Amino acid sequence: MTSELDCRGLACPAPVLQTKQALDKENPLSIKVIVDNEAAKQNVTRFLENQKFEVSVEKRGTDFHVHGKKTGTSEGPDQPLVKESKSHRKKIMVMVGTDCMGHGDDELGSKLLFNFLKTLKEMGPELWRLVFVNNGVKLAIEGAEALPILKELEGEGVKILVCGTCLNHFNLLEKKKVGETTNMLDIVTSMQLADSVINI
Amino acid sequence: MGLERADDAGVYKVTDEIAIIQTVDFFTPIVDDPYWFGQIAAANALSDVYAMGGIPKTAMNLVAFPAKDMDISVLRRIIEGGLDKMREAGVVLVGGHTVEDTELKYGLSVTGFIHPDRVLTKRNLKAGDLLILTKPLGTGIVATAIKGALASQEVTDKVTRAMATLNKGAAEVMQDYPVHACTDITGFGFLGHLAEMVSGSGCGIRIKADSVPVYPEALEYAAMGLVPAGAYRNREFREKMVDFAPSVERNIQDVLFDPQTSGGLLISVDGTRAEDLLRALKEKGIHAATIVGEVISEPKDKILVQ
Repeated sequence: MTSELDCRGLACPAPVLQTKQALDKENPLSIKVIVDNEAAKQNVTRFLENQKFEVSVEKRGTDFHVHGKKTGTSEGPDQPLVKESKSHRKKIMVMVGTDCMGHGDDELGSKLLFNFLKTLKEMGPELWRLVFVNNGVKLAIEGAEALPILKELEGEGVKILVCGTCLNHFNLLEKKKVGETTNMLDIVTSMQLADSVINI
Repeated sequence: MGLERADDAGVYKVTDEIAIIQTVDFFTPIVDDPYWFGQIAAANALSDVYAMGGIPKTAMNLVAFPAKDMDISVLRRIIEGGLDKMREAGVVLVGGHTVEDTELKYGLSVTGFIHPDRVLTKRNLKAGDLLILTKPLGTGIVATAIKGALASQEVTDKVTRAMATLNKGAAEVMQDYPVHACTDITGFGFLGHLAEMVSGSGCGIRIKADSVPVYPEALEYAAMGLVPAGAYRNREFREKMVDFAPSVERNIQDVLFDPQTSGGLLISVDGTRAEDLLRALKEKGIHAATIVGEVISEPKDKILVQ
C-alpha cells in the first residue's frame, strides 16, 4: 500500500505533520510526499528516516517528490502502538465548580486553575469528560482565558459539559462558546459511568 | 554630535558622556499564551540594548491586531506581559501605536543610554578571548514542535521561561570584565551570529560542540524533521565559513543554526578573566552560562566546530 500526499504550498512543520498523520493512520509500507521547498524536503526526509523508511528524493521542476519505503521487512506491522480496546480504557471525569483553584488568594487561584486546565491534556486519552458548574461555567464563555484550551481538548475528543442552570443563573447562556449545555441528570449519569471523578 | 553605525542597534552620540541606543523588534506569536508572548516579545526587543552594553530607559509598544477575529482580552494580556518585563527592566513605557492587521504582532521600540566610549559591538574579537553563551539553544526547533502540537508541556514551559528572561543580569555582570565584543543570539542562529562576528575580524573561532548548552528535546525534534525553514536558510548562507568535524552530528548542527527568539548573549572576553566572568554570571543566577569556544588567530574568518 502506498500513500501519497501533496504538501505543496505548505510551510514547516505542516508537511512533516501531515506525513506523520498519514503514517499513524494508514501505516503504509511506502509513501510519496510532494513538497515545493528545500526545508520541507529535508524535514520530511529526516522524519521518514527517523521512522525507519528508506528515502529517495526526485526533483521534478520546482517540486520534490520524496519517496519512502519501509525498511526491515519484518512480517506484519510492528506493534509499538498496541491499542487497548476502548472499553478497557479508564474514564476520568473532571468536575470544575469554580473559576479559582484552592483558597486564599483569588488572583493566584484563577492562574492556578488556568494552568490546571492547560495541563489536563497530560492525562491523555483517559480524560473523558469535563463538567463545569457554578462559577466554573465562566471558564467556558466568550473572552475566557481558558477558552482556547477547552476548545483544544474538545477537538481531541474530550466531552465538555456546561451546566445550563448555572449559565442561566449568571445570564450567560448566549455567551457559552465551548461544549454542550447539560443538566443534572447528565451530570449524575456521567459520575456513575466514570471510573474516577476529580472534583475541583 | 557624531553619528555611529553599530550593529545590534543604532547608536547616536549626544554628548561626550552620553549616547543613545535605539532599536526596534516585533514578531508574530511564538507561544500560545498571550501573557507569555508579551513578555517574550519585550525581552527580545530589550535584548539589543543589553547586547551593546547599554541600559534601556524608555519604550513604545508596537501592535498589529486582528480586531475582527480576536477578543480584545488577548491583546490586554499581551500588553500586560510586555509591561511586566519593562517594569523588571526599569523601563518606562512612553507610548505606542496599534494598527489592524490580519496577523497578530507585538514588539517594542526601545531607547537606552550608554557611555559613548563603552559601546560594545560584535566586531572586536581578539585572539585569546574565550566565548561565553548565556542561554541554551534550540528555541526555534522547539517552537516548531509547539506549532505542530508535538512538544511536551515540560519543554514548552522551560523554553517559554528562558525566552522571557531578560539579558539584563548578564549585561550588568559583564560591565566589570574586559569584554571585547558581544551580541545577542537571535534569528541568524548561533553560528550565523558568530559568522557576523568573525568575518573581517582577522581571527578565527573554535567551538567545542559538546560544551554548547542546548535543549536536549531540540535535538530529538530536529531528528524528527521539525527544523524551521530559517535554520536551513541560515545554514545555506553561512555554510562556507563553517568547518564541522565529522563527529558533530547533523542534529547538533541544526541546533547551532537554529534561529533563536530572545536568545542569550554571546560574550567574547579576555581569556584570562573568562572563568571569573563565568563564576560571576552563575552567582547572578544565569546557570546556563557556559564557555563554548575560543577566538584563535588562524584560520582567519572561519569557524571550526569540533
